[in-house]
Amino acid sequence: MNLSAFSTAYTIAKDEWRYWLRSKIAITVLIIGLLLTLSSVIVTSINMLELNHDRHDLQNAAEQTFVEQPDRHPHRMVHYGHYAFRLPSPLATLDPGVDAYTGNSVFLEGHRQNSAMFADQRQGTALTKLGSLSPAFIVQVLVPLLLILIGYSSVSRERESQTLTFILSQGTSIFVLIAGKALALISLIGLILLPLILSGLFTIGNGENPIVVASFLLGYAFYLIIWALMIILFSTALSKNSESFTALTFVWILFCIAMPRIASTTASTTVPSAGKLETDFTVIAELRKLGDGHNANDPAFAKFKASLLAQYNVDTVEDLPINFRGAVASRSEAELTTVLNKFAEKRMDEELSQTQVSRNFGWLSPMVAIKTLSMISAGTSIETHHRFMRETEKLRFDFVQSLNKVHVEQLNYQDDINRNLNEKSSKQARVDSANWQVLNDFTFTPDSPSTRLQRSVSSYLQLLVWIIVLVGFIQLTGRRAQ
Amino acid sequence: MNYMFAQLIREWRFMLTQKYILVLLLCTLVISGFSVWSGLREINQQEQTIQRLLQADEQDRSETQAKYSDPGYLAYYSFHLTYSPPSAIAFAALGERDIYPWKHRVRMLALEGQIYESDGQNAELAQTGKIDFVFVLSALAPLLIILLFHDLYASERASGRHDLLVTTAKSGLALWGARAGVRFITVILCLMLPFYIGTWISGSSLDSVLQVSVWSILYLLFWTLLSIWWGKNASSAPRVASGLIGFWVLFAFIIPILGDLAIQKAVHSPKGGDILLTQREAVNDAWDLPKETTMDAFTATHPKWKNHVAMESMFEWKWYYAFQQVGDQKAESLSQAYRQAAHQKYDLSGYISLISPPLLLQRQLTRVANTDALAAFAYEQQIRDFHKRLREFYYPPLFKGLNLGRSQLAIMPRYKPEAHKTKNTSTTPQLH
Repeated sequence: MNLSAFSTAYTIAKDEWRYWLRSKIAITVLIIGLLLTLSSVIVTSINMLELNHDRHDLQNAAEQTFVEQPDRHPHRMVHYGHYAFRLPSPLATLDPGVDAYTGNSVFLEGHRQNSAMFADQRQGTALTKLGSLSPAFIVQVLVPLLLILIGYSSVSRERESQTLTFILSQGTSIFVLIAGKALALISLIGLILLPLILSGLFTIGNGENPIVVASFLLGYAFYLIIWALMIILFSTALSKNSESFTALTFVWILFCIAMPRIASTTASTTVPSAGKLETDFTVIAELRKLGDGHNANDPAFAKFKASLLAQYNVDTVEDLPINFRGAVASRSEAELTTVLNKFAEKRMDEELSQTQVSRNFGWLSPMVAIKTLSMISAGTSIETHHRFMRETEKLRFDFVQSLNKVHVEQLNYQDDINRNLNEKSSKQARVDSANWQVLNDFTFTPDSPSTRLQRSVSSYLQLLVWIIVLVGFIQLTGRRAQ
Repeated sequence: MNYMFAQLIREWRFMLTQKYILVLLLCTLVISGFSVWSGLREINQQEQTIQRLLQADEQDRSETQAKYSDPGYLAYYSFHLTYSPPSAIAFAALGERDIYPWKHRVRMLALEGQIYESDGQNAELAQTGKIDFVFVLSALAPLLIILLFHDLYASERASGRHDLLVTTAKSGLALWGARAGVRFITVILCLMLPFYIGTWISGSSLDSVLQVSVWSILYLLFWTLLSIWWGKNASSAPRVASGLIGFWVLFAFIIPILGDLAIQKAVHSPKGGDILLTQREAVNDAWDLPKETTMDAFTATHPKWKNHVAMESMFEWKWYYAFQQVGDQKAESLSQAYRQAAHQKYDLSGYISLISPPLLLQRQLTRVANTDALAAFAYEQQIRDFHKRLREFYYPPLFKGLNLGRSQLAIMPRYKPEAHKTKNTSTTPQLH
């Protein structure tokens, strides 16, 4: 495009803006759009910052109460347990993702892997089933509609009022006209994205990686550009305003309202995943084979006992320099955790392949693509939740084994055996509370920037293919209109 | 009569010549069909899961019973399946079943520590939501109706035929009524036909089908009349549709979102974590407390066992289960408040739904299908009741120090899901 063509396109874009500013509908829609985006950014930011604060405090309180427990039998502390809270990532202020749908705290205790509890949705009003006031939802679903309402007639209007032939006969190429209209729409997109961009800068201040924020915002820019191109395409291809409008609205209904849900429904029906309850049965059956770690006499530990006796070259467990009950507890915890992790990983894999099916619908609807890209970049996708579960599991295993180590090394076997005899023996079978300093500080952070960028590649690819295909179609229809 | 019939035939033929209307209707049929098909599959999977769980649960418990005979150990290791089967018509309104659990295994330990565990579905899919018939009807159908009806007048005005048509037609009703009637009947057929096939496959009760039909048709009629009325005097079809879509955004998003914000601000609920924390502290502190303290708190609510609380060892199962129960008692007021807040939120959102037709429809249909929050609350109550029965079963052998024989195991309480009453469909909000 040479310079004069560019200045013509610029003039056309300016003209389009003038038309919008004169049109009551366009102005109303524009104001609504800005208000919605702005308020969603503010409300969600406040909410997420509050949540962050709350969970931070709860995490500290949980650690505090744990170390403040009195002298006890170490295994009592294994059952006393600990809590871990998932802190939302800075970009969760723009896309809370799965935060409200997964529990955000886990109770960590010996011998069990609990699922996350207290998902906010369960205490919700069920009013936000169709959509929530998150910037992500507003920009993914409502902004395209607003763009359609403003721009459906951008080219068809010229055709309907017969100014198109006039413009073309003056020597302006149809592509310059299209470029001008597109420029107007893109500048509109820039305006609507402004609150998001500002909020994105704010998250950088809160410690989010600038490249991730840039990639997040760029994804949204691509997405809305796809809609701008779609609007231009239909407006050029169809001869009447009303046809262009109906077609665009229909496409919007399909892409933004129907397709995401068709995707998730298809995913859950084609890749059924057994719930936790169901896999638990298999887990229990396997665990029963391992023996109960509370009961050192369980025949399952006979071999372990023999090897320990051989190792320390003694004849009875009483002669062992270590606490046999503690050793059994520690060993059975390790074995049990291997089994639990095996099943937990399997379940997460299943969930991931389900999610993958749903994400592939990004080839059919750009909304699905941006939804995925947005959650992945923000660190609020299912992968992040899985990592939370893995990290809390490690936290759980570490503190339980540290306590078991105390049990093995600091509690005399005889005292341990006699713990239930009487008040005195029960006191005897305790260890000093100084041993409770075994907790590692737990702060959940989102995935590393490079991981998130890597994961978002395929969604970017989907968006780019959409752009290329649409540009191709616009070229075809433009040539026909020429 | 004959004249009207001729009008309808003419309009039917006229509609068949309009390609975009046919595309719209076809898409409606396909999407509605998909939602019904996937809903049926989902319900089928839920039923099968329950069957598998029942079997596994039975086997698991009999293995446990073979291994232990001491009631303390038996109660500790025996889990019991509870579940809430989907109603026959649940395929059309999957409702809240992906958020609230419908299956749960409990044992005789403190219930507050167990009941909030959720066997959640894939969170990312739950966040997107599923496409069930209610969604198609409440969210998609209004848009399709807007597209079908907004240009009833405007398209004729735009093509310059309006005045000619009006002057040649016998009456306005014969012309516009026939045209709107044909479109309305066709769109209802496209939307509802898959649903009726679904009810036939699932064997839904006539009563529930009728209720769904009435609500659905009223709802569609509302949008149709709104679309026609709004477009009555306009000549620009897109302008009419823009306004109508504005209504839709208002009803489906803005009102619910504002309502949600208001309710969340107005209703204060204890944090779930606090219930758990209270319960955990109570249960864990009990190990270090004098046994009498625990037993006194226990017998205060269970006076029957007053004379059986003496202990011979530092650990006895009856004391263990007594402090589990005391843990629940300590957390009870919090737990009550938590549930009450959830209930109150549900009730208040009933008021909001009065000014948002899509919400009202969702609320009515999920109530008919028994898949709403109320159903989830009722299920939770059933779990609590069952847990109580379980405790009452174990207390005699625990406190009297008896072993559980085969004959007693045979009468161990079993969870039976309560039959859902479709009659109870009142949604008039009731405040506590």
